[in-house]
Formats: sequence, structure tokens, C-alpha cells
Amino acid sequence: MKDIYILGIESSCDETSFSIVKNGVEEIATVISSQIDIHKLYGGVVPEIASRAHIRNITFVLEECLTKAHMTIDNIDAIAVTYGPGLIGSLLVGVECAKTLAFLYQKPLIPVHHISGHIYANNLEKRLNFPLIALVISGGHTELIYMDKDYSFKKIGATLDDAVGECYDKVGRVIGVEYPGGPVLDKLATLGKHTYNLPIPLNDGTYNFSFSGLKSAVINLANQEEKRGHKINQEDLAKSFQDVVIESLTTKTMKALKEYKVSNLILAGGVAANKGIRSKFQQVCEENNINYTFPSIKYSTDNAAMIASSGYYAYLLGRRADLTLNPTSSCELK
Amino acid sequence: MKIMYIDTSTNYLYMGVVADNKLLYQIKKDYGHDLSKYTLEEIDKMFNILNLKPIDIDKIIVVSGPGSFTGIRIGMTFAKIFAWAFKKDIITITSLEAMKESVETTSLVVPLIDARRGYVYAGIYDNNQNIFKNQYIKLDDLLSKIYELNQDYVIVTNNNLQINNTINYDPNILKIVKTYQNQEAINPHSVEPNYLKLTEAEENLERNNHDKEN
Repeated sequence: MKDIYILGIESSCDETSFSIVKNGVEEIATVISSQIDIHKLYGGVVPEIASRAHIRNITFVLEECLTKAHMTIDNIDAIAVTYGPGLIGSLLVGVECAKTLAFLYQKPLIPVHHISGHIYANNLEKRLNFPLIALVISGGHTELIYMDKDYSFKKIGATLDDAVGECYDKVGRVIGVEYPGGPVLDKLATLGKHTYNLPIPLNDGTYNFSFSGLKSAVINLANQEEKRGHKINQEDLAKSFQDVVIESLTTKTMKALKEYKVSNLILAGGVAANKGIRSKFQQVCEENNINYTFPSIKYSTDNAAMIASSGYYAYLLGRRADLTLNPTSSCELK
Repeated sequence: MKIMYIDTSTNYLYMGVVADNKLLYQIKKDYGHDLSKYTLEEIDKMFNILNLKPIDIDKIIVVSGPGSFTGIRIGMTFAKIFAWAFKKDIITITSLEAMKESVETTSLVVPLIDARRGYVYAGIYDNNQNIFKNQYIKLDDLLSKIYELNQDYVIVTNNNLQINNTINYDPNILKIVKTYQNQEAINPHSVEPNYLKLTEAEENLERNNHDKEN
């Protein structure tokens, strides 16, 4: 069979990224331009600043990707782009770029859902083994998805309020660590002890999650300690908080694997880079004979390689968009 | 010499192709919030009607703003990628220049775009001279400036702002292209929108830093 090269484009938040992936599994070249240093000044991603940075970067990143791959767009079979969900202004730059390239070079245009991309980041580690359960954890998502084949996404549970990554960032702000809070809390947790008493969120029989209660509990605890004139022990609070998050994620996920009689687990999304979460999942999977794949750290956060990988399977299924493809801030994974 | 012109800086798509100083095609259409959806399709349609390929275009003139932040990025992304991909010349002009160029009058010309919350993007031209710099300004302050000059004037806009002496913006694409076609081309990598305004977050940060210094 002829080799298929997909050019992936990702611009849904604060990373401008292009990547070329061969046959859905082999990464040829990826370039990611992160704006994190700009957004740090504001304590979070500012949508209009992100959009401005995307258009400033776009041709540089695209050119660097092609140069790294020793390829031209003529060698590409199709162009895959994140059309949503995400920041609408940011998505727009990537989608306009993809539509322009598809038009100029007469290439097929493939719309890719951002979460599908995060799931297929694992495909770059090892070809996905079905059926599987995917735990999607990021700044905007916390979902359990059952898949029995490529592009068959059945959502079995999701957060009822805050996403886990959002909760990390907010807790980070409360205990006074630099944005983004997630990686800092993960690091602090390795140095602390579980000394603070926090409630396990949504300890019920469903596959749903809830993190806003946990977030409020941390905020209240920090306020109370301050009133009493006590200083919060950042490391211990980070450890206590992270333990509770991990407990909630592993309990629900292991329950889903058992009840759906599935022995393959993948983690997906930016929070999948969290070392505490990874090592706990590794441990429980090994104890329960579950095959697990985690995306490499560099492909846990937003990148275009995962979009190109996911785009390959959409391409094989004949999924195409025309030049009226429009970005959308929210859309169902299907 | 075939030149493509594109302006998506308001909710309108203004686009055309000029070859050897003749207008081959133009479209002027209000797309409202659907501009991002239909721009590429309109471009495709234009090339089909003209029986041309994108590579046949020698130069692109793109309006870089000011106007709708999102709107600007639609045409600019196309123009940047096009010029970069096919190594074509790219020229940027401002939306206010394009508006000024489309009016034939001996009076002062005030191109104006609504920037909401009582503000506009505007400037004042006297015989093609930008005598009051194009800027983001309170509408009331602009009007005071105009009265102060005490001369005949016309305001050209495609917004409905209920102010006197306005004429509806109808771009003269041929004239715009003729006027700006020999402006120096820029490297597509460095082509950037001309927003004429910082984002609110940047303004607040500047204000805070300024307060701290004082």
C-alpha cells in the first residue's frame, strides 16, 4: 500500500503547531511554538493575544516543519486541522490556513476534533488496541470514552463542572504558585505528605467526575488557615490535593474497565503529563493486568502530530471537509 | 500583471482581480458572522469564473486592518499563506486608506469604522494627505476635531452610526489597486495585521505597570 503523509495543524489554544505523520503512526517532523511565556504575564491564556500570536507565527512554524521533514506540500496527501473545540479566534487561524493550503495545492481537507487528537497521541507510541477506555484529562476536559474501533467514540462519563486541569490551575493560584499550576503542584506533591483532609469528589456509582467541590474545599481550607494565622504548607497541600484527584480518577476509570470488560487503557490530554497521575495508573494497571499506554510527555500537551495521526484514520474513513469548514468553540466528539 | 485584492476587515468580503489596470472581477458582499465560513469558497469561485489558477496571480494586496480583529485575520491568513507558498509579492494597506481612496471629492475625507462602545477607527484626509493620523479614538473626540477644522467633509463608513455627512463605503477596487500596486512588497513572514489597538489585557497590564512606576 502507498504511504500516506498527513500534514496536521493545531491552533486551538496557545500553541501553534504543524506536523507531518506517515501512515498515522510514524512522526516525520513536528514543530510546536508555545506562547506560554506571553500568557504567564496575565496569569492565564488571553484569547485575543493568543489569536494574534498564531497569525504572527504561522508561516514560520509551517516552513520549519517542512524543512525538518525535507518535504514540500506537494508531497502531502491530505491536510488535517483541529476545527474545535477551543478558543474560536485561535482555531480560526489554523482553519483558514488549512483551507488555504487545501485550496492552493488541491489537497483533501480533514476536520479533526481536538479530543480525538489527544486520544491518537497514544497511537504515536503504539498502535491503539481495541476495545479500549480513554481517560481524557486536560484544562478543558475530563471524560471517560469507550472505543471498540477507530473513530468510534462512546462517552461513558464526564465532569459535571470543572475540568481537572482547570481545577489544578485554580488551586495553584490559591496556594500562590506560578501559572500554569498543574506541573508545579505535581512537583510540589512529590515533596509533601498527605496531611490535609479533603473530600473525595463525587464518590458515587456513575462514571462522572466533579472537581468544583474539591476546588472550593482547598480555597476554604487556605482561607481558614490564613485567618488562624497559620501558614499553608504548599507541599503538603499539593500532595493532599493530588492524592484526592488521583483517587477519583483511578476509581472511576478502573470501574469502567471492569464493567466494560476492557483490558486496554489510554490516558490523553495535557494532565496526562502529570507524573503522580501516571505512576499511580501504572501501578493499578499492573495490579489488574490492564495494558496501558500514555502519550509521551511532549505529545500530552497540544501538538499537531496527534492531529495528523487522528487525521489519518479520518482520511481512511473518507471523512472530508469542504472550503466552508468553520471553527467551533464547542462540538461533540464523533 | 495580475493583482488580487482582498479585504475582510469588516463583516464584508471585498475582493477582486485586476489585470493590466483592468478590473476582471469583484465581489462586495455582507457576510455578517459567516465571513470565515465563506471566504475561501468565494475565492475558489472567483478563480473558476476567471478560469485562472492561484499561481497565475503575480501580487496580492491585502487590507491589514483596522476593523474586526477576527475578520482581519481571515484575509490576512489567506494572503500570508498564499504569498509564502507561491513566493508572490504581498502588499498591505489599511482599511482606512482603502476607504479614503474610494471617494472622489475636494472636501476632507474621514474614513471611519465602528470600534464599539463609543469608539471608532478613523483618520482625516485632505487631498490624500493624512492630516489627522489614523487612530482608535472616541467618536465624540473625532467629531470635535472635524468641527475644529471648519471645512467641508464627508465621512465614509459601512456602519450605521447616525452621524451627519456620511456616505456609504463602496470600495473602488480598481482605483485602490492602481494607487497601491507599486508600494514595496514585504516578506510574508513579517506581514502582520494592523489592529491599531492593543488587547484589553495588554492595556490593563501597561496601566498597572505605569501605576507602579509612579
